[in-house]
Parts: sequence; structure tokens; C-alpha cells
Amino acid sequence: MPALIAALEGMLGTWLTQFLLGFTALAALITLNAMFMVWFERKVSAWVQGRLGPMEHGPQGTLQTLLDVIKLLGKEPIIPAKVDRTTFILAPVVAFLPALVLLSLLPYSEDLVFTNAESGILLVFAFGGVSLMGVFMGGWSSNNKYALLGGVRAVSQNIAYELPLLLSTMAVVLSAGTLNISKIVQVQTAGGFGWFFMYQPLALIIYIIAATAETNRAPFDIPEAESELVAGFHTEYPAMGFAVFFLAEYTYMFVVCGVGAALFLGGNHGPWLPGPCWFLIKVYFLLFLMVMFRWTFPRLRFDQLMDLAWKLLIPLSLANLMVTALVIKLV
Amino acid sequence: MDSMLSQYGTVLCLLLVGVLFGAAPLIINFLISPRSSGRYRDQIYESGMLPVGSAWVKFGIAYYLFALIFVAFDVDVVFLFPVALIYDDPQLAASAGKWRDFTEIGIFVGILSLAIVYAYRKGVFRWQ
Repeated sequence: MPALIAALEGMLGTWLTQFLLGFTALAALITLNAMFMVWFERKVSAWVQGRLGPMEHGPQGTLQTLLDVIKLLGKEPIIPAKVDRTTFILAPVVAFLPALVLLSLLPYSEDLVFTNAESGILLVFAFGGVSLMGVFMGGWSSNNKYALLGGVRAVSQNIAYELPLLLSTMAVVLSAGTLNISKIVQVQTAGGFGWFFMYQPLALIIYIIAATAETNRAPFDIPEAESELVAGFHTEYPAMGFAVFFLAEYTYMFVVCGVGAALFLGGNHGPWLPGPCWFLIKVYFLLFLMVMFRWTFPRLRFDQLMDLAWKLLIPLSLANLMVTALVIKLV
Repeated sequence: MDSMLSQYGTVLCLLLVGVLFGAAPLIINFLISPRSSGRYRDQIYESGMLPVGSAWVKFGIAYYLFALIFVAFDVDVVFLFPVALIYDDPQLAASAGKWRDFTEIGIFVGILSLAIVYAYRKGVFRWQ
């Protein structure tokens, strides 16, 4: 393997080699994570409901998602007659567009960071917003009332929960004094400081709630509420368009949980195991929480959803920010 | 500086590659999938009935108000990020006094909170 990399570097130059290696790793991560999460989610829901879940293909049905993807590849991509064609076709691509960038900003271990940007957290939120545009493009261009409602709901929900998300991470940024995600992890691991969830329990709770809403997950899944909107913004998407939307969704779940793990749970920090293992364990622990939310809480009504954000989470996170600022001054 | 530029260069390249990575499955799908035909094949799917009218109509303004508050808020929150970076900086404390940055953050967040109170009183959050 090192010999192969050296040979590649000889041919393509260091930067391009690193870029290609990183891209391959991230692409593999996106695909494997989505396939694993679909399977995992079905297994957890089966476990909660006392069923077996997928069992037919592979041990415990592990190959089920792979076969589903192959099936979707062979389905006809119908573009309905009355849609806005360009926007309709571009929407899944736009929704997926920032996924690679977002994954590249996460700190998998001390030396395994793809783009170690100084303004890491800001970039995560900036690019996270791009995918929302894809969702709304899909909802609007479908010329379908359910899809339009789903798209509009997705936008207003995402902007409402963007604020508590930003404000709760702000409390951590305030304590750490940097926007660089790797450096925030280092602050937590250096000299017995401890992970940030010990100092910011409220911020962690707000972050998890807001992150669940940001990724349109149940109980905040009203943009695609099956029982009222058919399938929400992706009602009109067959075959791969549908699959790419889902690929994007599962990647963002990984990203928000990755940021949460890095900011609050010490990132790659942990005994015995190597860094990337700990990082993945923490990320999948948070993802497991998010999957369990879906089977624990009933879906919120739209006004309840807005009330929760504007009347509870935003004031709470503002108060948390001020208390953090005060405590930093006093200590 | 050089490393900083190359960081954002990488981000830009990843965005470009992201387009290909997102579009590739769609293109493959388009190339290998079967073609069907039929009278209702190109219809919009709404409950299995023929859709009535277009979806591009005017609708509730409640969403618009939320969007408006958000724009005001989000810009303000972005201003907080640079403050968070230099908060409790010893140099700043030496030149401007220990409590200067805390007071300013307090005023800023206080005005932000007033915006919520105002919207609350105006009934923006009451769903109709």
C-alpha cells in the first residue's frame, strides 16, 4: 500500500494523490454509512416493535440495502410532464452537493483530517444550508401540492432550528476560543480538561434536538410526513433521484452527529482503541439515539414544532450562551 | 496563508467532485433503466386522483414572517462568532478592561432577545 501511494505520488504529484485518496475514502464512507444506516434503522425499528426486520439476504439481512440500491438503479426515472424540468433534475444533485465537503471537515483522528479549516464550524453550517436549497428545489419544482408543502415546511423548520443549533455550538466555541473543529477536540483532551458535555449539558441537549430537526428526522419529520403529505418533497422522485435524496439525508445525519461527537463528546479521544474507532463509536451512538427518537416520540404538529424552537430552544440557548460568557469571566 | 488558501481550494474541488458524485447515479440510472409508456405515466402523483390545478399558487404568509425573523437573527448570530473567538483575550482585557467584552455581548444578546419578545407580542408565533 505505501509503495502504491508512492508510485501514485510520482505520477500525479502529492496534492492530487492526497485528494484522490481522500475522495475515495469519503465516497466509501458516504455509501457505506447510508447502506449501514438504512439497515440499522430497519433493524432497530424491528427490535422496538418486536419484529425481525430484514432477514432474507445475507446474515441478518445485511445485504438488503445493497440489493435495494441495485433495484433502484434499474427503475425508470420518470419526469412528470408538468414539472419545472431543470430544477427537478438538479434538485437531488444540489441536495447531495455539499456532502463530501461536510464529511471532509470532520476530525476522524488527530492526523486524519481531510481539510483542517480554521473556520471549520462556520463552514459546516454554511454548506449544510446548501442541501436545504436542494430539498426546496425538489419540493417546488414537482408542481405537486404535497411536495410543495413538504418543501416549504422543510425550509421553515430548518431555519427555525438553525438558530438553536448555532447558538448551542456558540457556547462551546466561546469556551474553546476557536472555530477549528480539531482544535476544539484538542482543548477537550488536553490536560484533564474533560469533554464539553460536562460543562455544557444544556447545549448538548439543545444541539441534539436541533440536529434531529435539521436532518428532518422524526419526531420532526413533518416535511415528509407520510400520513399527511404522501412523501413530502420527494413525492415525485422515482428511482435514483429518490435514492440520492436519501443518500444526502443519511450523510447529513452522520455529519451532525460527527460535529456533536467532536464538540461535546471529545471526538476521537478515548482509552485503548485508536482514534477513528472512538470517533465512529461516538457518532454511531448519537445516530442510535436519533433512530430511537423516531420510535419513542410521536410526530409534532407544525405549530408545536415552531413553538418548541422559537419559544423554548432559542431563549434557552441564548440564556445558556450568556451564562457561559459570565462563567468564563468569573473563572 | 498558503495552507489556508489550499484548504479552501480543496473545499472547492470537493464541491466540484460532489456534483459528479451526486449526478453519476442519476446518469447511470437514466442509461440502463427501461422505458414505459401510458396515458397517465407523466401525471403528477396526488392521491391517485387527477390533480386539480397547479401547485404554484399563493399560500399562507405565516411562513414568510418566520423567514423574516430568521434573516434578522441569523445575520446577528454570525456576528457572534468572531466575538466568541476573541472572548476573554488577555490583550483585549488589558486594553479595554476585563468586563468590556461581556457587557457588549450582553447588550447584543439583549437586543436579540428583545426581537423575540417583540415578535411574540406581535403574535407572529400564533399559528392561524
